[in-house]
Amino acid sequence: MVGGALSATVAWVAAGVLGWVPRPLRIATLVIIGLVVVARELQLIHVKLPANHRQVPQEIFEKGPYWSALQFGFELGTGIRTYLPSAIPYLLLAAIVLLQASFQVALVAGACFGLGRAAMAWSRTASQDSGSWDLSLRDRLRVIQSLAAVASLVACATLFIG
Amino acid sequence: MAVSIRRAATDPMTPALLCAGGVLAAALGSSEVLAWMGLGGLAGYALSGSV
Repeated sequence: MVGGALSATVAWVAAGVLGWVPRPLRIATLVIIGLVVVARELQLIHVKLPANHRQVPQEIFEKGPYWSALQFGFELGTGIRTYLPSAIPYLLLAAIVLLQASFQVALVAGACFGLGRAAMAWSRTASQDSGSWDLSLRDRLRVIQSLAAVASLVACATLFIG
Repeated sequence: MAVSIRRAATDPMTPALLCAGGVLAAALGSSEVLAWMGLGGLAGYALSGSV
């Protein structure tokens, strides 16, 4: 949650910097990004996205169980040091910047991004059968990402209209 | 019974369905903060399978 909130704060600062861009241009950009993200998640187009392609390093686990878990969770929550198998985080980022989200809203969205990342680990652990859970996720990940992309786009549209 | 409940609750689809349903209900119901929360949760959960 803290990692996600930090990333969202950076996006909120970027939103302030881009405040001079006319609203129609910002909305048009968000619509284009949203449609590209949905088309990509539905595998209608192939777009390579910028990503760090670096995972959290193994060395952090030498810091002991408490600090290593804390750092790992923080870095996982930022969404920076990871592979990005989905473009939906870019849509969230674009929505915060282009819809000029307030600081509180950006913070909450970022914290929930971290919670969403943690939900994977919680669900997997709670299943008590991580092998089957992994197989199930592998089979359903495409559906999950498509569903999330469409729901996110509809939410962005209603946030814009509302 | 307990096993099947746990299996349903921990199914990888469950958080996605809850979040997608929540975000759509919040957005259509004009609850801006809840919609942003759902957007964040969906974006985070969509990265499942990657650490």
